[in-house]
Amino acid sequence: MKQMRRMLALILTICALLTLTAHGEQALAEGGAKWLKLAESFAYPSLDAHKDYYGWYTSIYGITETLFRVADDLSIEPLLAEDYEVSEDGKTWTFQLADACFSNGAPVTAQMVARNFQRLAECNERFAYLSEFSIAADGEKTLVIATPGVYPTMLSDLTAPEMAIMDLDGTADFDGAPVGTGPFAVKSFEPEGTVEVERNTAYWNGEVGLDGVTFFYMQDDDTKLMAMQAGEIDGYTSVTAAAKEIFSADPDTYTVTSIPATRLQFYVLNKTRLDDAVRGAINLTVDCDAIAAYLGGTVSPAVGPFSAAAPYGQVTKPAPDPEAAKALLEADGYALNDDGVYEKDGAPIRLNICYYAARSLDSIALIMQEQLRNIGVDAVLTVQEDPDATYVATGDYDIALYCMIADKAGDPYYCVDALYRRDSKWALGGFPTDGSEALINELQYETDIERRAVLANEVVQMTIDDNAFGYVGLFNKTTVTRKGVSGISENCPFDFYAVSADTNME
Amino acid sequence: MGRAIAGRLIHLIWIMIAVSFLTFLLMYIAPGDAAAKKLNAQGIAVSEEILEQTRASMGLDRPFFVQYGDWALRALRGDLGSSYKDGFPVAEKLLKALGRTAVLTLSSLALALLIAIPFALLSALKRDSAVDNITRLFSFIGNSLPNFLISVLLMYFLSVRLRLLPLTAGESAKSLVMPCLALSIPICGRFIRQFRAELLEELGKPYVSGAILRGVKRRFVLKSVLHNAAIPMLTVVGLSVGTLMGGSVVIETIFRWPGLGKLAMDAITNRDYPVIQGFVLFTSTVYVVINLLIDICYRWIDPRLRKAGGDA
Repeated sequence: MKQMRRMLALILTICALLTLTAHGEQALAEGGAKWLKLAESFAYPSLDAHKDYYGWYTSIYGITETLFRVADDLSIEPLLAEDYEVSEDGKTWTFQLADACFSNGAPVTAQMVARNFQRLAECNERFAYLSEFSIAADGEKTLVIATPGVYPTMLSDLTAPEMAIMDLDGTADFDGAPVGTGPFAVKSFEPEGTVEVERNTAYWNGEVGLDGVTFFYMQDDDTKLMAMQAGEIDGYTSVTAAAKEIFSADPDTYTVTSIPATRLQFYVLNKTRLDDAVRGAINLTVDCDAIAAYLGGTVSPAVGPFSAAAPYGQVTKPAPDPEAAKALLEADGYALNDDGVYEKDGAPIRLNICYYAARSLDSIALIMQEQLRNIGVDAVLTVQEDPDATYVATGDYDIALYCMIADKAGDPYYCVDALYRRDSKWALGGFPTDGSEALINELQYETDIERRAVLANEVVQMTIDDNAFGYVGLFNKTTVTRKGVSGISENCPFDFYAVSADTNME
Repeated sequence: MGRAIAGRLIHLIWIMIAVSFLTFLLMYIAPGDAAAKKLNAQGIAVSEEILEQTRASMGLDRPFFVQYGDWALRALRGDLGSSYKDGFPVAEKLLKALGRTAVLTLSSLALALLIAIPFALLSALKRDSAVDNITRLFSFIGNSLPNFLISVLLMYFLSVRLRLLPLTAGESAKSLVMPCLALSIPICGRFIRQFRAELLEELGKPYVSGAILRGVKRRFVLKSVLHNAAIPMLTVVGLSVGTLMGGSVVIETIFRWPGLGKLAMDAITNRDYPVIQGFVLFTSTVYVVINLLIDICYRWIDPRLRKAGGDA
């Protein structure tokens, strides 16, 4: 009994000490500087902006910047480059750099920018194509990039966060403390853990509102929700539907912002296995509004692959109409059998919906199965862990669900090229035609931005009219912030922006 | 004893070869590869040409036996290679995660034992009393609750409601409290139930009744009972150490305590073969070594085994 008492006393003492230390920390924070605390769902072992996708995070942390950036309205605006011109043949791009400097005070020179791009080409497979360009400095502030062919997506490419400019001579530790031009500089970095950045006192592009920011790595949704409720963090993105409901119920404490972002949920209808009437009936049946409602506001219903706010997102599709879907099947000779399933020549429709259990595709597959069953179309679900190595590679599907970033940086070509080309992995679905390929070829070399949007819209509309693709939803970027916190790119659809010089807290 | 240890170490070599080969084979035949996972990490599509180039640069285009042989030869020289995902040395990553897992495992076990032994003893001695029933009820609940639920409840009460423990403390002693509790509550429940059963079995043996009838002091009887029940209890503890040293993905993710469990799960998701292989080698070694240590403890506790000189 004596031992039990001792143990109880020990536990109580530990609790008392923890309470005291917790209160001590709170007092310290209250008397401290303007220091924002955010949670991030991903963390990486390095801050080397040129490697892998680490540049996304140096951009989020406000450490690095690029020559151009994508604005909230998806337009491309200058950042480290203040002006540019392109030669008449579309092969030579000349950039005038802004009077920018790194956080150590060293000026950003054209020579340094060229060396950054050369380094990026060497250490990142996705940017190896830069080695085919001639990149050279013409004086202190003029950069000239010559491409082997017409390269209309140059500006869009230059917004990629991996195209960040670092001080290659002034950086001693690229993994732990790169020197960039952003409003913040690295204070401390824990690989795959917490990152602290502090105000870049030499920032070249205006006053920085905050003294610093701490980014806590929190992968779990419940942890983020409770850290927010406990007052330990001031905001985070990728808020779940359940958490959004909780935060929205307390508007005096939290601000919730939700906008359609760039990650697309879609399906491909296999033209080599499904006739026109069945594909048409499927697209008339799948109700994207109902799916978005079921997913609790985490996605916005999609018409095409791009946000309707973009000039290249101007396409239309018919509203869901199950009766019209049935009529379409019946007009093609299908009739309901005793099981309530449409059949033709004794063969009932039995679709194979392939999906992988991520990005809510499992829920979408189930809802689609139910919606199709309601009009008399039977469907079985096939789940795969790795879609690219299974159904996408073999073409063994009737309906293939998938999710990807459709808009990489304010230009439609990347998505159009990845989805609709003859040599794309989706060509097994049977969509590409001579007409679509010709339009995509034209888009590849078209330099006029308005014409590019027109071409992209035409190609996407073809995929809708041909019932080759179905666009389900665009993931919303949902951000929650504590009242008084502003400017953490909550209205920007891209994932690779967060804090900036304008970020502030009351 | 020396021969038994040598025998176990020889077994360990065969186990390592078999486990590493099977793991490599399973990962090889599973769909997808490290190159695709690495390049598509953010949902950006890349061309087949870039994928092929990356596969070649990572050596993934080579035949299975060449890849496995290359890895095995380097592992024999003590080089576990570099992570496919980020290029950092596997040994470094494992050691870092191991340190965190070891701290969490040992503290959770210590806490669980500290609670389980006295309560199991009390429960066994006061069989069918109110104390026994309450202890059994709580041990049943503790054993039945899933880790994630305990974690969420702890976070809600200790962080959100009482503000006692922070969720953002990093790798401090304070941040260890909640993962340690979340991990030890189910273990504690299991230990109490199993220890109680072992103690009751021992208390029911004739030597205990005989000793009490002869007027032997209660604490001496209890000492003998605990001594004799120690071997099965040690087996239970040993098995738990082996399991815990493999890491707990749920606890590590929720409480931001990245140990071996999360490292292994991330490596499997990313088809990061070198890290998976390193993890498999490590966990198989831990299991063998722990079993060996338990055997040594058996002999230390039970003099009959020492005299027999047999392999327990």
